[in-house]
Amino acid sequence: MLTRRRLLEGSVAGLLASASGGCNDRGSGRRVVVVGAGLSGLNAALILERWGFEVDVVEAKTRVGGRLWTLDHLPGSPEGGGNVMGAQYGRVFHMAHHLDIALRTPPRTLPSDYFIGDQRITRASWASAAANPLPEAWRSIPPQRLMGKLNDTNPLLTTRAWHDPDLMASDQSADVGLKALGFPKAAIELIDANNSYGNNLQDTSLMALYRIMGEFGRLSGPALAVKEAALGNMRLPEAMAEQLTRPVSLGNPVVSIQHSSSRVQVALASGETLEADAAILALPLPAVRTIEVNLPASQTALLNQINYHKVVQLHCIVEAPFWEASGWSGSWWTDSPLGRIFTRPIPNTPRYNMTVWINGDDCDHLHALDEATCTETITQALWQLVPEARDVTSAGQLVRWSMDPYAGGAWALWRPGQAGTAHGAIRAPTGRLFFAGEHTAEAYRGMEGAMESGERASLEIMRVLA
Amino acid sequence: MRLRVLAVFLSAVQLGLLSTSLQAAPLTGEQLYDVACRACHSLGTAPDHRVGPPLDGLLNRQAGTVDGYQFSEALRTSGWVWRLPTLLAWLTDPDAAIPNNAMNYVNPLTAEETQRLSEWLLQQP
Ligand SMILES: Cc1cc2nc3c(=O)[nH]c(=O)nc-3n(C[C@H](O)[C@H](O)[C@H](O)COP(=O)(O)OP(=O)(O)OC[C@H]3O[C@@H](n4cnc5c(N)ncnc54)[C@H](O)[C@@H]3O)c2cc1C
Ligand code: HEC
Repeated sequence: MLTRRRLLEGSVAGLLASASGGCNDRGSGRRVVVVGAGLSGLNAALILERWGFEVDVVEAKTRVGGRLWTLDHLPGSPEGGGNVMGAQYGRVFHMAHHLDIALRTPPRTLPSDYFIGDQRITRASWASAAANPLPEAWRSIPPQRLMGKLNDTNPLLTTRAWHDPDLMASDQSADVGLKALGFPKAAIELIDANNSYGNNLQDTSLMALYRIMGEFGRLSGPALAVKEAALGNMRLPEAMAEQLTRPVSLGNPVVSIQHSSSRVQVALASGETLEADAAILALPLPAVRTIEVNLPASQTALLNQINYHKVVQLHCIVEAPFWEASGWSGSWWTDSPLGRIFTRPIPNTPRYNMTVWINGDDCDHLHALDEATCTETITQALWQLVPEARDVTSAGQLVRWSMDPYAGGAWALWRPGQAGTAHGAIRAPTGRLFFAGEHTAEAYRGMEGAMESGERASLEIMRVLA
Repeated sequence: MRLRVLAVFLSAVQLGLLSTSLQAAPLTGEQLYDVACRACHSLGTAPDHRVGPPLDGLLNRQAGTVDGYQFSEALRTSGWVWRLPTLLAWLTDPDAAIPNNAMNYVNPLTAEETQRLSEWLLQQP
């Protein structure tokens, strides 16, 4: 616990260090609690420690990494959370390099064939297939590329254009917006079937979709290859946590936070209270909502309105490539409740990891089931769709991000009217409380966004306390 | 000098204004670089693994010309030379300065911080 005496000594040391131009211990004696040991919290903690702060990281789960979760108990160690490191993930790559985490080019996911209605369509015959519901001019576009058509009219030409007041007309329902842009009904339905950036198109901002597509367009420049950690992405947050002077406090959820303009008290489920000069909430918003904390009413209202993406995954192990005999590729993009099926080889074995990836509102009925029934429901649907999988495929692990109280979903979504403005407001520091996490990032999303947000939050703290 | 700082500080303590009255010193160029740039750029350790080009010896360097680094077409053909005004313009709004660049960066620094960082960076050998 920080006594007045220690605070005094620390502050004097800090003052003297700055008066004499010292650097490494500028934050010395200043104490920060970081809530959440995901990439964002860990990156902020490492930066603050580097500049002399005393940092305590507290984590609800019994492991670090948060939404990076390598399923180490399954063959092939599939990723239950973040899987692909984008070509421009400078911060993630540097951290991995610095901590000797080997990266590799991911084993290639088999390309998708299609199930539309209950009709199977091979990749090669998509354009001409009778079950392809698209009108003539659109038929040759595969379902997973349809959203890319937004780049024909994308007004977001720069990294921060999604906040441009002149472009706010696009911050409208994607369902309405796509119709207005002339997307045929069948195309809109296919986009809605497996949209990773909304739970349904009515409640998704077109601006948010433009942002994603614009990013894909812009970042395809001098591209390095995408990567993953060879031994699992969770090795990265684990190695980051090991660098910290003080070990992360695991299995210890924060239950309430009191703060004033100068102090923060963080109460843990263990009954302990941590006192500090500042705290960073490096948490997804649904997890923030479970903590009792006095935020301004307008900020609380906003936090409560942000939706998170629903994702249910069933990770399966395939003993042999059952699809080869029948001429299929092994992965499927479907408009069925099963969503997408991603299959990739486990290196140096004859086996494959197969992930059934269901997202959006299709998850609702699965969330209502207990774990065993949910697994059984998905497996039965899989056998029905692909009967030949049955003898060689076994279910390994069910992952339901929305049901994890410390995640509450896969990532933040932007509803109509939120993309332009909500984003800045939800991360605004209040008193000595600061916010990090992928949902607060500006230029990137995902893992790199989490790292970026940790930089921004530590900068905000250093400004006030260094 | 130090004693005077301490004296001022102690009187603040006596007034009970401890944490709130303590004005944090502005962050140095080195700190700003460390937090905001270091993950993507190096200073003088080539060859480098980072996503951005090395930034050592930046003063008067032609933009987009580091050997062995694959710059965007936009930066290579920009004709820019790195000096204080160009660096400030670039960091303040990279997309406005050189459209279609590949930095994908939104500067989190204030105008004064950007100035301090730039002055510091242009002095690095
Ligand atoms: C299925 C899935 C696929 C993804 N795919 C990709 C991808 O391919 N590429 C990519 O870049 N990104 C991907 N992501 C996103 C990426 O994983 C996240 O953006 C990133 O890991 C988020 O880091 P974070 O620090 O913001 O949050 P988190 O990792 O969620 O960290 C928050 C931490 O806070 C803890 N916590 C919560 N509540 C409390 C509490 N009350 N007290 C204490 N601790 C608490 C949590 O347990 C967690 O450890 C994916 C995510 C998911 C779920
Ligand atoms: C997320 C990674 C990333 C971060 C963070 C980043 N940069 Fe960059 N930077 C890049 C990339 C990538 C390029 C190359 C851009 C191109 O080719 O268009 C670049 C290019 C540059 C250049 C041009 C160099 C040359 O040789 O022409 C300068 C100057 C620069 N960055 C300065 C900075 C500064 C200062 C910061 C911190 C305030 C910073 N960058 C933060 C990725 C980053």
